[in-house]
Amino acid sequence: MYAGGDARANRVLDDELFRMVDAKNPLMAYIPASSYLSEIEFQHFVDQYRRFRVKRFLHFPVDVPFDRILFKEVLKADVIHLGGGNTFHFLLWLRKTKMLEALRDYVHHGGILTGLSAGAIMMTPDIETAAMPSFDRDENHDNIKNLDAMALVEFDFFPHYRNSPRYDAEFRKFTRKQKRSLYVCPDGAGIVIDGERKVFVGPTWLFQDGKKMAIN
Amino acid sequence: MGSTKKLDMQTDDNKKHYAPFAKINGEHPFKAQVPEGRVEYQARVKKGGRVVFFHFDLAKEMGLIPKDHPNELNPELEKQILDTFSIQIINEWDIENKVQVPADEMKPNTYMATRYLQLQHPDKTGRTSGDGRTIWNGQIRHQGVTWDVSSCGTGGTKLSPAVNINKRYYQTGDPTISYGCGCSETGEGLETLFFSEVFHKNRVKTERLLATVEYDKGLAINVRAYRNLIRPSHFFNHLKQGNLKTLKQVADYYIERQVLNGDWEDVREKSPSEKYNYMLNQVAKTFASTAARFEDEYIFCWLDWDGDNILMDGGVIDYGSIRQFGLFHSEYRYDDVQRFSTTILEQRQKAKYIVQCFAQITDFLVKKKKRPLADFKNHSSLKKFDEVFETSKYENLMYKIGFKEKYSADLMKAHLNHLRVFRRAFTWFESAKSQKGVYKVADGITRDAVFCMRDILRELPQLYLTRGSLLEPLEFIEIIRSSYATKNDLRMTPMLKKQIQRFQVSYLNLVDLVAKLENKERHQILLDITMRSSVINKYDRVTGDSITYVVQKVGKSRPRLKSEEIFNLVSEFAHYQTLNPDLRKKISEDSGEDFPVRQKNILRDMAGIVRECREGL
Repeated sequence: MYAGGDARANRVLDDELFRMVDAKNPLMAYIPASSYLSEIEFQHFVDQYRRFRVKRFLHFPVDVPFDRILFKEVLKADVIHLGGGNTFHFLLWLRKTKMLEALRDYVHHGGILTGLSAGAIMMTPDIETAAMPSFDRDENHDNIKNLDAMALVEFDFFPHYRNSPRYDAEFRKFTRKQKRSLYVCPDGAGIVIDGERKVFVGPTWLFQDGKKMAIN
Repeated sequence: MGSTKKLDMQTDDNKKHYAPFAKINGEHPFKAQVPEGRVEYQARVKKGGRVVFFHFDLAKEMGLIPKDHPNELNPELEKQILDTFSIQIINEWDIENKVQVPADEMKPNTYMATRYLQLQHPDKTGRTSGDGRTIWNGQIRHQGVTWDVSSCGTGGTKLSPAVNINKRYYQTGDPTISYGCGCSETGEGLETLFFSEVFHKNRVKTERLLATVEYDKGLAINVRAYRNLIRPSHFFNHLKQGNLKTLKQVADYYIERQVLNGDWEDVREKSPSEKYNYMLNQVAKTFASTAARFEDEYIFCWLDWDGDNILMDGGVIDYGSIRQFGLFHSEYRYDDVQRFSTTILEQRQKAKYIVQCFAQITDFLVKKKKRPLADFKNHSSLKKFDEVFETSKYENLMYKIGFKEKYSADLMKAHLNHLRVFRRAFTWFESAKSQKGVYKVADGITRDAVFCMRDILRELPQLYLTRGSLLEPLEFIEIIRSSYATKNDLRMTPMLKKQIQRFQVSYLNLVDLVAKLENKERHQILLDITMRSSVINKYDRVTGDSITYVVQKVGKSRPRLKSEEIFNLVSEFAHYQTLNPDLRKKISEDSGEDFPVRQKNILRDMAGIVRECREGL
């Protein structure tokens, strides 16, 4: 789960990722949060992972019609990466296209799923953290009511965190109401889950029952 | 007291900033250099206008406002725009009817409407035709480039078809006559704006919209700018009339501007033969590459014998009949009431005809004697045209596949035969038409294309990269089929199977040849192509229909949108529609993330429209 930032900021997380990749000639699939200008994001994505000698890539936007051929290839990828963007829009289309279930199955069958920002939130039980903080939140243009996400982890995640009282006040309030743990990370930091193993990369804080704790 | 002083200083600063506007005052060298090529009109101030759009970036490029001017329309700038462009000509009807205009409302200089050939006119030699509702505001030179500025909607001239068909003059704004009334509309301006900005970003030469001044009832003056607004038709009327003197004046005027703008070599002092043959050569190359580009980008531009709907350098002018198709709808014809337009495929012949006319013009200018057009049907310039057209077709195809330019040149040099095999397979799919046949659409007739070449070119390299093997025929069809394809169209015949095989084998063959030439592995080339092709052949690309709906969308939102907001919207829209992989864009800075919610919503809706209409006309 990547909190944000560019290739350089995420170097350590990427190293962790490639410790998990067994394939000699891995295939990486990129699913952007929106097709809007995603071809440019894809170029950045390829640049980022070409450095790790990855040679095979797929670009797979879900908010435009797609054919089954590419869809099947995506689910055979060694790594599927969910891009950042508007979390509500992304969830809407992942659900519409039945990709939520497909990705859940993919992970349960040993696939490696990574996500940045919105893509990382997608792995949590729901995407409520996308509506925080109130002063800089994703807009729910599509007016989605069902915020349930993949629930691959049992905690909430907040990306692009800035260690400031304004943010903290909202998270304290949120975790007083919401009983789950909330991990927050700034750009370049993130969480790696490999079976039972949970690794925190970079500065991470935990909010629980209105309290804040530094984890890493 | 202090604040009044500050305000005065600001106003003085603004006056200095906007001084270049004063150069656009009706004066233009064409008036003196080609006296028989224009009609001059007195003009008056047109009241009640408001600036609904101003192109800040273009204005900076033209030197109208300073580079560091904020993209905001302040009262002083709006006043300058209105003072410069909110004008109406005193036309023949006004003079006949002795319309009185207060002296302080009269503009000091005259403004010209230029004469050119137009097929709508009863006189087929261009003695009565030209700018029917447009005048030239003037020109401005900045950083080595001279810009022409013209305005559409400034009043009806005697060069409009209506005047000459009905043999009477019309009052500007006369509701009984549409095109001849001399008015333009805001919607027309916005359509030009959105289409031209997308074309401009994608390196299709085009006139651009500088400003729109709106009046009551949606009427408007749309101000356009370009480096050189001369069309072939500006030559053709004098050619048809055998008017050597004026023809020479137009040619010399045009050459001079091209040279001064740095677009052509300086041939002004060369012998007439060298000078005009240079012009002919340029025209042949330009029209060949433009016709090939239009065909390959599915740009429908109604080229015809009058040379009216295109600029001399192949630039697009007048978006009234311009379209960009999503698929190769090569049998679409626009219904212009009295006649059907050409099709996309017929554009090549029309472009070639324009070159043939220039061969005749060149001969006329050099030998001072006009020979029949038929004498030039085998002229060397037409062979040049065919050569350049063919080369451009290959270059365009390789670009569409996603090959870098340097690879294309190598392939063309060393492996033209292999390219030819792929082109044949590509063309077979691209030209396939639905068995449904020809049918009527809102503004013409068409026959649907069955396959979407952009989709297959986008997905194929990814799938080869992933699988390392050819696709099954059914898989290939699943990807390439368009929404227009019926079950019958997709029946897996032996011929279809053979073509699928040929397409794939020859495609991979080209990839391997490039890999060999570049001393790289196949997967490296495929990855390169994957990335480039995802931009070039992106899923949602604008079509003529989508521009119409996008403009309707903006029109509905417009009462609440300020000029600056329209500028931001069109800039972002053109950015989103820039399909050039060599312009690596930064997403975070330019993706409209900082837009106010209202503009973001409009942009999102626009993207939805483009997606919806992506295969249409």
